[in-house]
Amino acid sequence: MTNTLNVSAVTFEVIRNRLVAIAEEMRIALQSVSGSPTVTEASDFFTGLFLPDGSVVSMGFQVSFQAPVSGTVIRHISGKPHLKVRDGDMFIGNDPYIGALHQNDVQMIGPIHAGDRIIAWAGVQAHQTDVGGMDFASWCPRAKNVYQEGIRIPCVKLVDRGELREDVLEMITTASRLPDALGLDIRAFIATINVARNRVGDLVARYGAEVIVQAMQRMIESSEARTRARLAELPDGEFRACDFLEHDGHSNVLYKVDVKLTKRGERMTLDYSGSSKQSPGFVNATRAGLMGGACGSVLTTLGWDIQWNEGILKTAEVIAPDGLICTAQFPAPVGSATVETIWVVSNATMLVLNKLLSASPRYRHRTQTISDGCMATFNLGGINQFGEPFGLHLMDPLAAGSGAWATKDGVNAGGPITSPVSAIADVERNEQVSPLFYLHRRLAPDTAGAGKFRGGVSAEVALTLGGIARAEALVMTHGAEVPNTMGLGGGWPGATVRQSLGRGAIENGRPQQDGRWEKFGPKPGLMEMTNRDVFAVTWQGGGGWGDPLEREPQAVARDLAAGWVSAQAAKEIYGVVTKDGTLDDEATAARRRSLREQRIGRPVSDEAKFTRGKPVGSISESLLIVRDGNGTHVATQAGYVLSTGSTRWRAGAVAATFGTLPPEYRIALHEDLSVTAYYCPASGTLLSVDVHERGAMPPDDVVLDLRSL
Amino acid sequence: MGFFIGTDVGGTFTDLWVAGSGGDTRVFKSPTTPDVLGGVVDSIEMAAESYGLTFKRFCEQIERFGHGTTVGLNALLTGSAAKTAILTTRGFGDTLEIGRLRRQTSGMNETEYTDAYLRNQFAPLVPRSLVVEIDERIDVSGAVITPLDEQQARGELRKLGPQGVEAVAVCTLWSTYNPVHEKRLRELAREELPGAFISVSHEISPAVGEYARMSTTAANAALGPLAGRYLSRLESTLREAGMRVPVLMMTCAGGVLPTDVLSDRPAFALFSGPAGGVMGSLAIGAQIGLENMLTIDIGGTSFDVGVIAGGKPIMRSEIAIAGADIRVHSIDVDSIGAGGGSIASVQFGELRVGPKSAGANPGPACYGRGGVLPTATDADLVLGVLDPDNFLGGRMKLDIEAARRAIADHVARPLGMSLAEAAWGIREVLDSRMADLLRRMTIERGYDPRDFVLFASGGAGPSHAWVLSAELGLDRFVVPAAATAVSAFGTGNSDLGFTTESPAYARVRPGATPMAGQLAKISAEIASTVAEVRRNLERAAAAGNTRIERLASVRFRGQTHHLDIPLEADAFDLAAYGSVVARFEKNYETLFGRGAAFSRAGYEILSVRAVGTGALPPPAQATKGEPLAFSKTRKVVFRDPKAPLDTAIYLTTFPAEGAGVDGPAIIEFPGQSVVVPPGARATADGFGNLHVRSAA
Repeated sequence: MTNTLNVSAVTFEVIRNRLVAIAEEMRIALQSVSGSPTVTEASDFFTGLFLPDGSVVSMGFQVSFQAPVSGTVIRHISGKPHLKVRDGDMFIGNDPYIGALHQNDVQMIGPIHAGDRIIAWAGVQAHQTDVGGMDFASWCPRAKNVYQEGIRIPCVKLVDRGELREDVLEMITTASRLPDALGLDIRAFIATINVARNRVGDLVARYGAEVIVQAMQRMIESSEARTRARLAELPDGEFRACDFLEHDGHSNVLYKVDVKLTKRGERMTLDYSGSSKQSPGFVNATRAGLMGGACGSVLTTLGWDIQWNEGILKTAEVIAPDGLICTAQFPAPVGSATVETIWVVSNATMLVLNKLLSASPRYRHRTQTISDGCMATFNLGGINQFGEPFGLHLMDPLAAGSGAWATKDGVNAGGPITSPVSAIADVERNEQVSPLFYLHRRLAPDTAGAGKFRGGVSAEVALTLGGIARAEALVMTHGAEVPNTMGLGGGWPGATVRQSLGRGAIENGRPQQDGRWEKFGPKPGLMEMTNRDVFAVTWQGGGGWGDPLEREPQAVARDLAAGWVSAQAAKEIYGVVTKDGTLDDEATAARRRSLREQRIGRPVSDEAKFTRGKPVGSISESLLIVRDGNGTHVATQAGYVLSTGSTRWRAGAVAATFGTLPPEYRIALHEDLSVTAYYCPASGTLLSVDVHERGAMPPDDVVLDLRSL
Repeated sequence: MGFFIGTDVGGTFTDLWVAGSGGDTRVFKSPTTPDVLGGVVDSIEMAAESYGLTFKRFCEQIERFGHGTTVGLNALLTGSAAKTAILTTRGFGDTLEIGRLRRQTSGMNETEYTDAYLRNQFAPLVPRSLVVEIDERIDVSGAVITPLDEQQARGELRKLGPQGVEAVAVCTLWSTYNPVHEKRLRELAREELPGAFISVSHEISPAVGEYARMSTTAANAALGPLAGRYLSRLESTLREAGMRVPVLMMTCAGGVLPTDVLSDRPAFALFSGPAGGVMGSLAIGAQIGLENMLTIDIGGTSFDVGVIAGGKPIMRSEIAIAGADIRVHSIDVDSIGAGGGSIASVQFGELRVGPKSAGANPGPACYGRGGVLPTATDADLVLGVLDPDNFLGGRMKLDIEAARRAIADHVARPLGMSLAEAAWGIREVLDSRMADLLRRMTIERGYDPRDFVLFASGGAGPSHAWVLSAELGLDRFVVPAAATAVSAFGTGNSDLGFTTESPAYARVRPGATPMAGQLAKISAEIASTVAEVRRNLERAAAAGNTRIERLASVRFRGQTHHLDIPLEADAFDLAAYGSVVARFEKNYETLFGRGAAFSRAGYEILSVRAVGTGALPPPAQATKGEPLAFSKTRKVVFRDPKAPLDTAIYLTTFPAEGAGVDGPAIIEFPGQSVVVPPGARATADGFGNLHVRSAA
């Protein structure tokens, strides 16, 4: 910093509001001009302002994973003196090995000058349906390296001192199967950066460059101070979480993203070293992807009331050696990174951060389990009903269930938390512009993770082609054999993805009984689809919170009446019995007693195993930290002591490990996965449900510094 | 000539504006009552009394009765509308619950989006248990894929009666392209549920996109019985008292309509208050020859902005209410949580103002109702803008010590500032947030704010207008005579207005032109919308002088953002298409910059719309104003908190034509204070409007 002007609190706040508003004005410009349904309908884009060092100052509310990405490219440019940066320049890039989540995420950045000095950068990014590569939509399950996945633009000057380099633009659009759509979006990018330049320019004219620069730095300091203050309020300790994805496009291998959170005072580290090695297939993420997934989760989980910028991100130090599934090394393929490894990084990171919140009496109420554990892909390409080449990336899978809170149910079809304003298009709109015909788009029963508070119910769709006879489809996901929407506090994960294709299952829009249905695994990949075939898919419901046997029976009866829970699940998972649609209180109480007995057999009643000490903290509602004359323990609500001298409580609980789960859970497990449920030996209360690698036991995931309590 | 009346029912007060036969205009405010009707009648009684007439004698002399109300809005927000069922296509019964994922974040402000815990505050308009899936399906081309199963539909309808269903919304897929099933379902519903209020989506919201269409139809149906009961009670009360004219309701789109034209589409009047405000400014602009206006309304909790360009309000096609997307053509009034009640706080050494508001209770600290947190109103009091003894015309005493204490404790001391600096700082932060919204409503839409005149209303509008004008580079603002009741004024001064649209989809490839069939279809849709508008204006007894504007919604293929392009005639031939596309590109480049147009994308024509207006005779408004009476001088802060200026304070209720003062001055009306900054001059026109001009 050169000279420190004294920017008053008032001027700072005026400028801060303005800079936040400018990110919104950039959104308006982009969304108005863009022609991509992913931008105009689904909000899969990003706008932001950055410091010259790449720190994000203010950003829109769309895809939070993108927060750190443009900064990486800005730093890349700084390291390349031959990329002479001049006033009016704009750069375009999409190389995941420089700064992009995957190649579809084309971005542009432009410096904002005040005189000769660059005071800031404007960045804009949007998912492009096709940027070339061996398969349409640039998601190539057969890819073995990044060269097969479409054009890679490292960082190229597309606008030179205000002049669009049409030749470069043509080179880029030529690489796409949908050149006009890409061309229109690039124009939208240019308009967006121009808006940012003009608006920031007005501010500079009024307050002077130095004041604006200092205000931007102070915005970051402010968010950092607020985040650190929040961290200081949370308990110290080590927390672990992991999530998995199955199938890398070549074979059905299980990959793990493991994260260890160490939180002490105002500092935290997120260590991903325990994750799987990188994969031969397109599910990998580069380091840019890891940072995106981690940052998006920190913003949403800890920074809900803090202005989103680098200040929040600075509080988390990320540790991850090269060569992991989330730090894949060149030239590993990464085409589906956003919906595979990055998504799973985000799931695991949100899970571990919510374990931290759960251990805080002040913030437990807003602990949330995992939402939308995957983004199942259905891409379609060919010649559309208007006789033109098309590529469609169905955004409906966003309508999966969101996670339960420690105090309320998750939102049905609530969508992901990390993209706060995502939306899906109307069925009619999809049928109008794309060759689709829907049989249904509705909520799917028994998809919500069970719990005292259940997850949000997921939506499901079934569709065929409309107006054309055949097209090429790409079907892929993770989460068909991994319950990614993990629960907390004893809540169950939501259902896994079910996807299938019925050959000959429809004729002229009318379902046919003699269709041949094939149930798919996670990644059936590319296939031909005709207007006689029906593709049906059900996504993951949100994770549950707390023991389902503690759910208000009336709430279960209501879910039953709404069709969100089946009678079997009500009885087997929730222990709720109804007669002619009304709750049978007596039968329910008896059923719940018997389910608790089935869990633990005879309850332990040995006095010596219990404490009457004073709670000094807690891990969740059902796991209390209690102090008495014998030391500090983890005890259940029943007073049963699970561990003493440490919060590693699992060894003291009754554990039941499952390789497969009863059908009402609607959770399919990969052959390398197991689920272990832990119960209170005295009461039978479900304390935790852990998804883990088969043959290993789950680690103790919350190890608090007892002295700090 | 008798009385011209405009009434507007707000959350706290029911406002009544009246122009008497001599042309004098008066404003009355009466507390809004829970049944709404009582407050309206009270306000009419107040007016009658002021003219020395009985209620009956007064009602007999009413020439025009304009009305706006939030009854419908409140019913939706509190879930107290009629018990409503939805009939929709098999497989799509969860459309409202899924809500395109938008329901859960709808209506959130910019500081709430990042907090997932705040989502999903509104349940779907109709619970799933009252949504009935019907066996039927029509496709995008309008072809019947699955015929309507009448037997199944009848069976389902029969189950609804015993559940107490009063209203039915019918919304099936692609009914806008082929309404045959919706029409038949309406007949079946009439037969099976006699007496129920029935709305069908292709009539209420004829646009592609089932979520907004279903929400709108459901809202319309849910309001139908309620609005019908309320309006018929209002109408019969006034008719019995001797009123001979119909009640004219303000619609979202800005025109008024008699209640019988609106009775089957109450959703059209859902958002009448803000629309009335903009229409009020429009009417004043017409009187004094202004076509470009920015209307601002600053109340206790929110700052509302409307834009009038070329004599027409800027419109939007959708509004979000109670978490639902309601697709009715509406005057675009955007708002942020910034007003007199906005709370200032200091955290981490930073000053924040709003969006949290102290509301009316406890209200600002100076209200003395137990509020201890400083608000913008407290700042205005400390700065000398407000007079503690002359607030709301002296009806309420303000506690200036409480205001000082609140600002000193919560802002000045934590920031190490003087009291005056802190108070001015609160104003600066708040005013700059308001200026941001004004920029978003103008610059971001391709308008230069300097081409506009600011119209300031609402309690705090006239005292903030000078700063906002300066922020946007405007050299003057206008405070309407009826600034404290501008929505009521608008309902009494609007022409008849009826808008309808019809989907007329044509997708045109780059370089190609629409096919003859497409052109013919669009021509037919134009003719039918025009005919419907004409029919309804005739029903509304428009006296000859009607005007119908035809518009086509056009966009580049794939975009969501469309522009409305005027059409010259019903016939839509190749020449008309060419001129529409040319005008679209021109308007597009005005908005998004030269070179932004991208004809290689091709075009989509989405729908056509007919907008009809029917002129109503305007009330005479010759004024017998009064001079601006000098009251005293007090210190008021203008920009420099260290050097408050001696400021002349004037009192008036209705300034006479030509009355004027030079700034620094404050002109106090009952309910508002017009701040005239140094170097500016305020002059009243012949209608009692104050024009404040800064020196060139």
